[in-house]
Amino acid sequence: MNAVGRRERGVLVAFLGLFLWTGGPVARGQDTAADFRQNCVSCHTIGGGRLTGPDLKGVSGRAERDWLVRFIVNPQAMIDRGDPYALKLLQESRGVVMPQFSGMSAARAQALLDLIAAESELEESQFKGLQITDRPFTTADVQGGRGLFMGVQPLRNGGPACIGCHTAKDLGGLSGGRLGPDLSRVFERLEGRKNLAAWLSAPATATMAPIFKNHPIASEEIVPIVAYLEAQASGGGEDMSAGPLIFLLIGLGGAGLMLVVFDLAWRMRFRTVRKQLVLTSTGRGEE
Amino acid sequence: MNALLFIALPYVALVLAIGVGIYRKLRKPYTYSSLSSEILENKRLFWGSVPFHYGITLILLAHLLAALFPSAAGWLLGGEIRRLVLELTGIALGIYTLFGLIVLIARRLVPKSLAQSVTSHMDGIVLFVLLVQVASGVGVAIFNRWGGVWYLHTAVPWFWSLAVLNPDTSTVDSLPALVKVHFVTGFVLILLFPFSRLVHLVMFPLQYLWRPYQVVIWNHRRATQGSVRREIAR
Repeated sequence: MNAVGRRERGVLVAFLGLFLWTGGPVARGQDTAADFRQNCVSCHTIGGGRLTGPDLKGVSGRAERDWLVRFIVNPQAMIDRGDPYALKLLQESRGVVMPQFSGMSAARAQALLDLIAAESELEESQFKGLQITDRPFTTADVQGGRGLFMGVQPLRNGGPACIGCHTAKDLGGLSGGRLGPDLSRVFERLEGRKNLAAWLSAPATATMAPIFKNHPIASEEIVPIVAYLEAQASGGGEDMSAGPLIFLLIGLGGAGLMLVVFDLAWRMRFRTVRKQLVLTSTGRGEE
Repeated sequence: MNALLFIALPYVALVLAIGVGIYRKLRKPYTYSSLSSEILENKRLFWGSVPFHYGITLILLAHLLAALFPSAAGWLLGGEIRRLVLELTGIALGIYTLFGLIVLIARRLVPKSLAQSVTSHMDGIVLFVLLVQVASGVGVAIFNRWGGVWYLHTAVPWFWSLAVLNPDTSTVDSLPALVKVHFVTGFVLILLFPFSRLVHLVMFPLQYLWRPYQVVIWNHRRATQGSVRREIAR
């Protein structure tokens, strides 16, 4: 800061003011159908049966509109308040609390309810959900799913491979990513093919939703991934490999190796000025 | 808060870095330096400066190239062996850089040392932010791997949204706190760039490659008595 004058400091203060001024929340328009697809279909269908959450066909007939809006805006608050119908829904979903979505407002909830009402009138809603096969998965299905999980076979729509953020127990080596949870038992956690397939069709976590919104997993890719994750769940257990520790140790070893290499490379180079100056000035060094 | 940290901060940092950076270059060109303390130093500087600068340069290049060419980076990271090689190289470089940075900080902390006597407050701030930046990067690489893969689908779309003036933080809003710290300190460093020794980042000494050897004459006390001692340096 010594090198800068009063004028630069003035500029800095002005920009800090701008920084604070522009820091407010940024409102974004939302297409309601896209909103439903992005945030709701991993747990709900409209006319396709129950997933983790209830089938929403005709939901307006099951509760008051005002109640539904309040529940969509903040489900946890309704549960915490001890609302009987909210507690019943919680029990039916086996304790899975509906998440509170970022930026959810009463107006957005109203728009979603309008959409659900309109879709409920249709013979077959576009949100009926993926109807996944009941047949036993083959070895080819499982291997295909492993290739997609590992990224050996890229996802058709450009989404990231699962291994970037997740691990599974059969990966071996340095195993999978650690940004997201271990998926070895996700088949059990989501209670089967139907829920897992629905989840994959529109991953709803705050991290995955914005990524897969623009790169959805194709339905023919969902079947092999479900097959792979079903195979992972059989026999129980999670990824217990020492991958992270090995990763760190190799990193430490690599850094140590680089120090040795640079020490050798610098052996014949001028690596310290002062020492040479002191030696020369005291007549002990080379001319 | 996310809008403040991931929209306002990056724009303010970049505008200041470019604006004040150009102003300083035009008005005070001789301050575009890292104020080398090489001549004051013992061997300690070698173990700090060399690992830090080689490490940070390669890591910074990897971040920039992956952001500029995400498809190519995605292909590189798509193969299992390629991903392992790149990620292991990354963590080794990260630890190597962190080692160098700690040495650089430690040498300035020695009481009454020459290095401490030429350390400004801004040097202290830059070193602290750099330490948080590099340490959080190593932490992310260890605890949230494989960062190379998910970086392409979280931070890179955010960078591009900023570049095209249509900011969208949705892909980074929910990342772990350590990752957010890494993002924020990165832009704080860009913010500090024009006000600190970091300006030397854009002073590429390319002419060093073809300039002739330079004769540095040391005006030693005995030099005044007729003996000129010379150091040949590149």
